[in-house]
Amino acid sequence: MTRALITGIAGQDGSYLTELLLAKGYDVYGLIEPGAPREVPFVAPSERLHLLEGDLRDLDSIVAALDESRPDELYNLAAISFVGDSWEQAEAITDVNAVGVLRLLEAIRRAGLDVRFCQASSGQMLDTAEAPQRETTCIRPQSPYAAAKAYAYFISVNHRESYGMYVANAILFNHESPRRPPHFVTRKITRAAAQIKLGLAEELRLGNLDAVRDWGFAGDYVEAMWLMLQQERPGDFVLASGEAHTVRDFCAAAFGHLGLDWERYVVVDEQLLRPSEAGVMIGDMSLAREVLGWSPHVAFPQLVQMMVDEDIRILQDEVDAHSERL
Amino acid sequence: MAKRALITGVTGQDGSYLAELLLDKGYEVFGLVRRSSTDPLDRIQHLTSRITLVRGDLSDQASLIDAVAQADPHEVYNLAAQSFVGDSWKEAVYTGDVDALGVTRLLEAIRRVNKDARFYQASSSEMFGKVHEVPQRETTPFHPRSPYGVAKVYAYYITLNYRESFGMHAGNGILFNHESPRRGLEFVTRKITDGVARIKLGLAEELRLGNLDAKRDWGFAGDYVDAMWRMLQQDEPDDYVVASGETHTVREFCEIAFGRADLDWERYVVVDPAFFRPAEVDLLLGDAGKAREKLDWEPKTSFRELVEMMVDADLARVSREIALNA
Repeated sequence: MTRALITGIAGQDGSYLTELLLAKGYDVYGLIEPGAPREVPFVAPSERLHLLEGDLRDLDSIVAALDESRPDELYNLAAISFVGDSWEQAEAITDVNAVGVLRLLEAIRRAGLDVRFCQASSGQMLDTAEAPQRETTCIRPQSPYAAAKAYAYFISVNHRESYGMYVANAILFNHESPRRPPHFVTRKITRAAAQIKLGLAEELRLGNLDAVRDWGFAGDYVEAMWLMLQQERPGDFVLASGEAHTVRDFCAAAFGHLGLDWERYVVVDEQLLRPSEAGVMIGDMSLAREVLGWSPHVAFPQLVQMMVDEDIRILQDEVDAHSERL
Repeated sequence: MAKRALITGVTGQDGSYLAELLLDKGYEVFGLVRRSSTDPLDRIQHLTSRITLVRGDLSDQASLIDAVAQADPHEVYNLAAQSFVGDSWKEAVYTGDVDALGVTRLLEAIRRVNKDARFYQASSSEMFGKVHEVPQRETTPFHPRSPYGVAKVYAYYITLNYRESFGMHAGNGILFNHESPRRGLEFVTRKITDGVARIKLGLAEELRLGNLDAKRDWGFAGDYVDAMWRMLQQDEPDDYVVASGETHTVREFCEIAFGRADLDWERYVVVDPAFFRPAEVDLLLGDAGKAREKLDWEPKTSFRELVEMMVDADLARVSREIALNA
């Protein structure tokens, strides 16, 4: 039976990947931060799902986790993943997202393990002077988060080239879902739209409405990561929807789905603007389509609707529970 | 009032030349020094009465905040690094912690204490690694081929981030190889000139080297620290390639070095695969056109002069050691 170790298993991508691998019959091991709840949110417990404590800042815990899980495949999804405050947490982000990846690679190499390694790289590290961005686009990170991701990307390539390790970079563009935490702009919008619809809120404060992103569905992207590790040779692949939308587009789609006019509710808050904003992010995933036979199933309107519907359901449940108590 | 400069890596080759240059210009010089059980002050013995040593370590954020507060510098030169590429495979995590993360810690310290201080980051031609064009200039994409190169790429970008996001006067000097009689003995140039002196004076019979065909762009460290200083005197911060613009093989270096001592290099040099790198960089050759134009900088010391200067110094040093032991 194939064994996989997933770091960051408790996150959005970790949960989708866990479901996918369990469905494929894998034994899944997941790394959970010490002190965090021993569960994978949204995923039903399984006797083939094993959770281990560990932290990418702590080499010993990595070695122990590898020793216990003896994985055939390792998906490194652990990261401090919120870009907005990466300016305030530059050191911690670099320690986990950059040097943490190297600790993992070194632990694998030193133990002589034959592991296929998928690194969750980010489209944010690519130079937006070229659009769309592809695997050959220059690296030009514009935030500490993106700089750390660039380090992780290059060190992954380094270990592949220097040691012949099976290391693949998934260069992920934004990927969302109803499981996105609410501090990400997409979920913040869908939740606020639902709250406003149900009379629980009156406005939504956002930063730059013109920011352009390439948004896809996280459930599609974890499938591509799995496909990447089934190839004979490791490679790097851009995973993206190939469509660019502004935050404004996202608002219009989310509020529109509920029959609301977004312009009546969205307020631009200067404090939410980033010190420097990435340019037009749009990914070209032709290589993934050609080599992996992958393309996303969920398009932008369906993604937004899925997220809004889920937020309405969650809030409605809360409202109902509240009124029952009354 | 005298300008104040803080130099990290002051005990290294570049740090010692830069300290001399700044003292000559009337600066008050502070040098960051790690605690160590051995005496690391070899290269700056002659300067210790004229510079202020401050305890601190790039691995320790708090110590950097204290150091910046104590020195209250107008200019900070970050020359500290695990600077030996060969060891960066063996000590990859340490190299990442100091050469990558350490730069973030230092930039954060400056931003918090006094973000008007000007910042120089010692970037490296090793960032070009598997080169995308020859010669390399400021616009050449990076493709690092060692954990050292990867860490330096991160440091380059994080420096750029702090300049763009916080308006700090922070710039990268992309230095190609620069040597001197003060180069550490682990570096190939110094290993050769030390070997020549020992063979010439009867203390050794052969010199074991790695790849003789490796090509580098070698200049004199004393010339290059002048470019660093000039960078921080510009109104606008920017990034500059600092290079000799000539490329030579390790073999050529051997020819001139042994020739200086009237020896035939081919009789003494033994190729030892143990010194080969897991991944070799391609033709590193820098185009310092921008530095020449904007900083009015060019190297004063030719390749032959550099090699002969190093051989002469090692002959003198080894002769002294023999005399002392006699």
